[in-house]
Amino acid sequence: MSGVRLENIVKAYGALRVVHGIDLTVNPQEFLVLVGPSGCGKSTTLRMIAGLEEITEGRLTIDGREMNRTAPKDRDVAMVFQNYALYPHLSVAENIAFGLRIRRTPKDEIAAQVKEVGGILGLTDYLLRRPADLSGGQRQRVAMGRAIVRRPKVFLFDEPLSNLDAKLRTQMRAEIKRLHKRLGATSIYVTHDQVEAMTLADRIVVMNEGRIEQIGTPMDVFQNPVNTFVAGFIGSPPMNQIDAVIATGDGGPVAQFDGQSLSLPPLDALRQGAGRRVVIGIRPEYARPVHGPAEGAVRITPELVETLGSEALIHAAIGATPFVIKTETHMGLTHLENVDGFTIAPDMIKLFDKETGHVLRNEEGR
Amino acid sequence: MAGAARTVVAGTAEKPPGRISRIAAHMRREWQIYVMLLPTVIWLLLFLYKPMYGLQIAFKDYSLFRGIEGSPWIGLEHFETLFQNDQFIRALKNTIIISFFTLVFGFPVPIILALMFNEIVNQRFKKTAQTIVYLPHFISTVIIAGIVITAFSPSSGIVNTILGFFGLEPIYFLTRPEWFRPIFIGAGIWQEAGFQSIVYLAAIAGISPTLYESAVVDGASRWQMMWKITLPSIIPTILIMLIIRIGNLLEVGFEMIILLYQPATYQTADVVNTFIYRQGILNGQYDLAAAAGLFNAVVAFVLVMSANAISRRYSRTSLW
Repeated sequence: MSGVRLENIVKAYGALRVVHGIDLTVNPQEFLVLVGPSGCGKSTTLRMIAGLEEITEGRLTIDGREMNRTAPKDRDVAMVFQNYALYPHLSVAENIAFGLRIRRTPKDEIAAQVKEVGGILGLTDYLLRRPADLSGGQRQRVAMGRAIVRRPKVFLFDEPLSNLDAKLRTQMRAEIKRLHKRLGATSIYVTHDQVEAMTLADRIVVMNEGRIEQIGTPMDVFQNPVNTFVAGFIGSPPMNQIDAVIATGDGGPVAQFDGQSLSLPPLDALRQGAGRRVVIGIRPEYARPVHGPAEGAVRITPELVETLGSEALIHAAIGATPFVIKTETHMGLTHLENVDGFTIAPDMIKLFDKETGHVLRNEEGR
Repeated sequence: MAGAARTVVAGTAEKPPGRISRIAAHMRREWQIYVMLLPTVIWLLLFLYKPMYGLQIAFKDYSLFRGIEGSPWIGLEHFETLFQNDQFIRALKNTIIISFFTLVFGFPVPIILALMFNEIVNQRFKKTAQTIVYLPHFISTVIIAGIVITAFSPSSGIVNTILGFFGLEPIYFLTRPEWFRPIFIGAGIWQEAGFQSIVYLAAIAGISPTLYESAVVDGASRWQMMWKITLPSIIPTILIMLIIRIGNLLEVGFEMIILLYQPATYQTADVVNTFIYRQGILNGQYDLAAAAGLFNAVVAFVLVMSANAISRRYSRTSLW
């Protein structure tokens, strides 16, 4: 199995740079997800790996071989597109066989492989149908079949589930994960949906404005975002961010905001930090809602409760800053409507520098 | 229970509005669209539907002085006359031959041109080439005929000059019946193929670029992409154009024929429309000409219906 390596990859259209020197290593058999908002350069990066976009600067290697000038067909990659890219005039079987026919694979071998892939993807009964006669999920399966049948070194997915409805997306997500486990192929997956990224990835690459903000396992990126961008992008709902000023309290450093104060973890960066402007990051899942006076609680102004079934989102405000708490509903909804504050364990609070947006952490890493 | 439910439905449900009242409501709501539609409807009524009233003279012994109403009915006599007339039979045969070869040679040319334009990478060259092939469409048929006559002139024409270069005797192309059809069909292709290719270029522009990208990753060459993606993707457009073309099969562009033919070439050049022109306008036999025109229209109607039905059955593509 093959790894992919990007060294200082740059993409520019004339004077406009859209990817600014990316360094990235995708390990063999790894499922790597590039995630970021629209226009962050994730699809462009994927297309450079596929050979559909020229690499302006830098070096791309697949399986140790430089690929910058190699034609897409010789890179041994297969790509699954957002809009499926199925040939409307060909049947499902012919669509799956297209790449093999182009490579002049013997007919009996093509037939055997199409049958096998059709079986893996549950398309056996649809092999003679045209794409127009299939549902969105079935079309996406055909697109994947076309990629799988070639047995490439690397699979590239460009937002393959974006055109599907929410229910089908969840189902297909699980199928892709299952397929990856079964085939064990190196896969690079682009999405703007952080839920997809969290559920599918071995490692997530968070991109913004043509740069990599953070690379890590889903839980690492979720729990230890390196900056306010990642904190705001990963997580659903995203991390709450409150502007505050550091002060020295009786029991250690505290953050002051909106006439309130919150005990902070004893970070090295805060030792001489009184007066420093920071951003407090609190995951909606880690804030515990409280009613009435409670020690160390931060007062909030509740606005509305959004119920999701087993969970609910309490939308509130601290001054003019919106604040969301995610909590369970087993205590009943009336209970949630009376919430007027929250508590949080100090070590669950993230602190970011107000100027740079970078996380503040102890020297050893936390 | 079922009875109760039926009673409730009958008692509360309003009668759904009829088709006419729905159309009236739509017209009131979207009156601007109907106002825009009006000129075309008036044009259709005046120039295509009103003349249909005059078609009855094909079944009458029509006299200008007695008028359409006053002329006596004579049944199918004009049609019998037509089919006993050697000139009409010859014109019908010529029409079919010219139409058939125009279709065989002329129909694929715009498709090939569009596929070729699509493969040109240099945009400047592409635009120049397109302008050059579109240009003849905008030239008047009279001028096109003039160019053809000049080009094939036995004394100064470029074709005979080239033949002379190879030591061949000059040929009087436009007076030789065997040369009329190739020259007519060739001139027609030259004049219209470029412009007709626009329809196919538009169809090609509608093909999703990801189909090509996917094929590139799969290892397809440009030639393979043209055969396996571009051409199959524009098949519905090709079929629609073919149906329209078949509907017009007997409508040979008679202006060009009138400008190019002469009694010496009537044998291969005279078509139904020029026959109608000579009989109706020059000889004043309006009733006979109307019968020939009606025959033409009925054949065209049958052809277009059949082509549409065949296309719908086998390719799911049809005009209606």
